[in-house]
Amino acid sequence: METTLLLNTSLLLTLAIILTPTLLLPMSKTSSNSPTTITRTVKTAFLISLVPMTLFMLSGTESITSYWEWKFTTNFKIPLSFKMDQYSMMFFPIALFVTWSILQFATWYMASEPHITKFFFYLLTFLIAMLILTIANNMFLLFIGWEGVGMMSFLLIGWWQGRAEANTAALQAVLYNRIGDIGLILSMAWLASTMNTWEMQQAPLPTQTPTLPLLGLILAATGKSAQFGLHPWLPAAMEGPTPVSALLHSSTMVVAGIFLLIRTHPLLANNPTALTLCLCLGALSTLFAATCALTQNDIKKIIAFSTSSQLGLMMVTIGLNLPQLAFLHISTHAFFKAMLFLCSGTIIHSLNGEQDIRKMGGLQKMLPTTTSCLTIGNLALMGTPFLAGFYSKDLIIESLNTSYLNTWALLLTLLATSFTATYSLRMTLLVQTGFPRTPTNSPTNENNPMITNPITRLALGSILAGLLITSYITPTKTPPMTMPTTTKTAAVIATALGIALAMELSTMTHTLTYPKQNPHLNFSSSLGYFNPLMHRPNTTNLLNSGQKIASHLIDLSWYKKMGPEGLTDLQLMAIKTSTTLHTGLIKTYLGSFALSIILILSTQT
Amino acid sequence: ASEMSKDLMPGPYPRTPEERAAAAKKYNMRVEDYEPYPDDGFGFGDYPKLPDKSAHERDPWYQWDQPDVRHNWGQPMHWDFDMYIRNRVDTSPTPVPWHTMRKHFLLFLSTMLIMFGLGEIYPSYRPVGPKQYPFNDLYLERGGDPNKEPPVVTHYEI
Repeated sequence: METTLLLNTSLLLTLAIILTPTLLLPMSKTSSNSPTTITRTVKTAFLISLVPMTLFMLSGTESITSYWEWKFTTNFKIPLSFKMDQYSMMFFPIALFVTWSILQFATWYMASEPHITKFFFYLLTFLIAMLILTIANNMFLLFIGWEGVGMMSFLLIGWWQGRAEANTAALQAVLYNRIGDIGLILSMAWLASTMNTWEMQQAPLPTQTPTLPLLGLILAATGKSAQFGLHPWLPAAMEGPTPVSALLHSSTMVVAGIFLLIRTHPLLANNPTALTLCLCLGALSTLFAATCALTQNDIKKIIAFSTSSQLGLMMVTIGLNLPQLAFLHISTHAFFKAMLFLCSGTIIHSLNGEQDIRKMGGLQKMLPTTTSCLTIGNLALMGTPFLAGFYSKDLIIESLNTSYLNTWALLLTLLATSFTATYSLRMTLLVQTGFPRTPTNSPTNENNPMITNPITRLALGSILAGLLITSYITPTKTPPMTMPTTTKTAAVIATALGIALAMELSTMTHTLTYPKQNPHLNFSSSLGYFNPLMHRPNTTNLLNSGQKIASHLIDLSWYKKMGPEGLTDLQLMAIKTSTTLHTGLIKTYLGSFALSIILILSTQT
Repeated sequence: ASEMSKDLMPGPYPRTPEERAAAAKKYNMRVEDYEPYPDDGFGFGDYPKLPDKSAHERDPWYQWDQPDVRHNWGQPMHWDFDMYIRNRVDTSPTPVPWHTMRKHFLLFLSTMLIMFGLGEIYPSYRPVGPKQYPFNDLYLERGGDPNKEPPVVTHYEI
């Protein structure tokens, strides 16, 4: 049977299945949506999406299909076209698998939520937007998905809209994403004006692509994927419910920026300046986020900074001109990061809303499944040999060590790798080991299969995903094969050093007394002072000057100075200068008028 | 009929102490606290100049009449109150002084940029050497003199 036909049909079936709850919503009253039906829908869609993935893995079938064309102008057409290549084929099952597990978890986590169906509907809309972004073949459809995920992120972060901090965080997310969108629109405009199309499979220029549109793309990725400079929204996004953090801000939405760079990598590949910029930006992001994660006390913030650090690592891979490896890291990262968030959600609910790791401890005995999966997730994150993270992370570090690149970027990434191990171990030690610092009457319970099934499923994925993906997908570029032993084991050594550092610090805190504040602790725990330094002056100046211009200046200048008061002032000025000139002898003037008139009249007659 | 009466609305800049006292009473403030904006033609009138403190600095645990904006009924609102709500500018004191924060951040940023510049000048790469050919390293093909003795070539094995 024709493989492309089967591929296209099954993929369209997946999309159609996901769209069914949105279509059923306005329709019948009897078969209405509920959390279980939506979860079942996503599970069915996941199982169907395995068909195109297996087809691709076994036969290498790819296709680009177009369904309808928007005849925008006579020479610029925008087709509704789907690109089914390696990246979209692999991303669909992974995203659907992770979403299915998260939705199943959310039926337990958000059970006390009155608008739970609307919550699930929002998550489903987000998933649809993300899949549109993934499968888009032109920038227009990608932009639709891009804006869609940004919009749903805003709605979901501010889910508990009575909470002012959640609203502020949602606003922050939208504003930072918008700054990135400027870059995306810039590069779309350049693409439309130079190549007269927004399709992505057009052949790139044989000469070096101009740097400006690539800067636009990098700005878009900085905004969406929380690289350094446009990063504060990601830790603030933890104000949303944990399923939102697990889905959006760890596995799917934040990788949209990196995905954009993967899709447009032919343009990036022949511009070394842009590649070096990606590399340096990614290295700075990964180290900055890892440094901030070292001193955080909120479990969700630690995992958020961990996500930010891994996104920096993905940006580094793009800078090394290895888009396929970046995609591999996206895929493996989705599994263990979503699992880490779900485990933290279980812990938070079991401790009745406690998110501070200083008030947790000894949970290994109280929540065995959750904490074991937390350990597996942390090990996968650290790049433990032969778990999922190893296949992508170790390859990235090996390629780093064996390429011609900026030395400081290399050093920063290695340092960030050891910091990853340090903060993961800190989190594990404080949450799972030691004496319990929780109140004694916490509703600790993980007996519900709604909790254990998703988490164990994702744990299985974290262990096997790396092996499965690398076994079946042939790399497009030859990986470095020969290198000295030190280089080969560099990642493992860096991780081991990080673990040693964490153990040393924890024994120090148990035995020695420590000064309370020092500049480095302040820098790390205040997130590098970036937030107050950037947020306060900019917004104050903008709002103040806006207020002054709108009310004082416009009211004052246009309504008063250009009108009545302006005339008054001018006339007053004229009057004051001319008052001194005349003497005001009215009777004399009238007498002279009368005299001259009488004289004229007398000479006339 | 549902509007405020004329004596409750803001008025012109108070010139005499009696006008100041009347304006302070109108805004529910003490005469000592009442300070109008300077009369420089920008149209503030007798509206009080309250300290530039945002809603973040007000007690979150006190039972305010309007808890979301942390405001009591009748309390004078800041001229720029919409800038100082909890979703916008936060003027609460930072744990670290502002100049220290700025200095440390700029130090961090400048160190990073300088080190990235150094890293560009001295990049890291795997050790490479010039390509070597066996025997006399293509001495004749490279235009060497056939009459002269070719120089001795040392070959290296890694």
